[in-house]
Amino acid sequence: MSAQISLAHYLTLGALLFLIGMFGALTRRNIIGILMSIELMFNAANINLAAFNHFLHPQGVAGQAVALFIIAVAAAEVVVGLALVLAIHRNTETVYVEEFSILKG
Amino acid sequence: MINLHLLYPEMVLAVMALGLIIAELFVAAKHSRILYHLAVLAAIIVLCLVGFTLSNPGQYQGLGTLWSVDPLSQFFKLLVLLATVLCLFLALDYKELPPKHAGIFLCLLLLSSCGMMFLVSSVDLLLTFIALELISISSFILTGFERRNKKSTEGAVKYFLFGAFSSGVMAYGISLFYGFTGGTRLIGLAHTGGPLFILAILLILLGFAFKASIAPMHFWVPDAYEGAPIPVTAFLSLAPKIATLGAMLRLFSVLLPASVLDLTALFALLATLTMTIGNFTAFFQNNVKRLLAYSSIAQAGYMLIGIVSGNTLGLEGILLYSFIYVGMNIGAFAVAQAVGSENSRPDSDPYALESFNGLARRSLGTALAMSFFLLSLSGIPPLAGFIGKFYIFSSAMQAGHYLLAAAGVINSVVSVYYYMRIVYHMFFKAAQTQAALPIGPYLFGSLAIATIAVIFFGIYPEPLIAGVKASAQYLP
Repeated sequence: MSAQISLAHYLTLGALLFLIGMFGALTRRNIIGILMSIELMFNAANINLAAFNHFLHPQGVAGQAVALFIIAVAAAEVVVGLALVLAIHRNTETVYVEEFSILKG
Repeated sequence: MINLHLLYPEMVLAVMALGLIIAELFVAAKHSRILYHLAVLAAIIVLCLVGFTLSNPGQYQGLGTLWSVDPLSQFFKLLVLLATVLCLFLALDYKELPPKHAGIFLCLLLLSSCGMMFLVSSVDLLLTFIALELISISSFILTGFERRNKKSTEGAVKYFLFGAFSSGVMAYGISLFYGFTGGTRLIGLAHTGGPLFILAILLILLGFAFKASIAPMHFWVPDAYEGAPIPVTAFLSLAPKIATLGAMLRLFSVLLPASVLDLTALFALLATLTMTIGNFTAFFQNNVKRLLAYSSIAQAGYMLIGIVSGNTLGLEGILLYSFIYVGMNIGAFAVAQAVGSENSRPDSDPYALESFNGLARRSLGTALAMSFFLLSLSGIPPLAGFIGKFYIFSSAMQAGHYLLAAAGVINSVVSVYYYMRIVYHMFFKAAQTQAALPIGPYLFGSLAIATIAVIFFGIYPEPLIAGVKASAQYLP
């Protein structure tokens, strides 16, 4: 019984990260916190992709390539997100989502 | 099978979009309208290029590694570019956009259209994901472009949070899809079911539902639409929605047929939910931007019916309806912009329903045009919207989804009420001022094109139907 790390371990880690990220994104009140939670969701996908590529489809690198693209896209998304947080902080002096309530109806 | 030459229109558009940022350096802020004209020119050139590819299908259409250039994708590309040009016309007559950043604004708008062109051609989840992100990231910035305006930034932040969340979910879905199939290509899927595969498809569907504003993912729509500058609102309500529906059409009814995974019941539920939520919430809106936002949610629901029916008539119905939708929605937003930018008192909401009071007495032509657009949106003959709805509902009847067709018809009847509220304000309320409504020349151009399209294709739809029939072909 060797203590080898198998695909199941990676997938469990990925699923846990995804669920933690999803829970955080839905419950955090601070925009920065929500952004961090969303990053967790992207990274869960990356872990899945790398693990699937290594264990199930070792003949190509498609999974790793997709993971690289997701990393780049997530970085771009966070840059825009932080810029928007700065913009709204200048206008309203807050980063808590429950206080963004001009638009409703 | 690289076939890179199939993507020349997209490349030209991307290069011109980036060129606009550089051009901004050489154009003083007070001459920023030159940049807008350059952007219109760029979009029209690419429109002609896409039109040119239709002339020689053997050479300019085919299957690439990640993309498929076929009549279906070219139709949606033409539509997206048309919507971009019309929205640029609206932006030319909109005063609130900072002239100092015109180059960035136009670059983002064109890059977003470029993303949509990739999206409708994509046959691989990698390209789909990147195209969706290109659209989303550009639209977040466009929504928050009036950065001194609290509403604009708030709308952009809400849009961003929903968008980032749904793309995270979609990325996870793609990772599961990759694990199951060993690739991200969507062509030639032969596997049947499996809970992991179904979960992957559902998570990917969530990402699409967000962009097309389909019911469980529609919460961002009213806030982002109300906050965004109105030319951007018009753009967001047209181009991304149509492009996403085009991509969904390809993915869920062509590449993923019911023999692989039967999602008909789910789509029927989503379509009903989207129509009902959109229409019934629009009842209570007193802001025209929000009202049109909910109406655009409902319109996405109608178009989804075409995907549910899954037959040729449904495919043609979606193409037809999305073409007509561009005409009637851009028209409605053009009138809303003309009315909203005239009233600039800071204490009142410029887009409130009361701003439309007595519009008929001030500018009869505009009021009549607006009534045509609203009647067309609610699907009343002889206007173009009726033809589109007729096609979509009869496709549902043909496929045996009688309940869904009935739900669609009931929703159309209900929607007449809130559309007619605007007409009531225009014709039967006293105006606060008697001065004629100022309408800029470009806005007038958009308005005229939209009016002619809505009336002409309502009375004489044969050329449009012929074009749609020719476009309803795809290369899997």
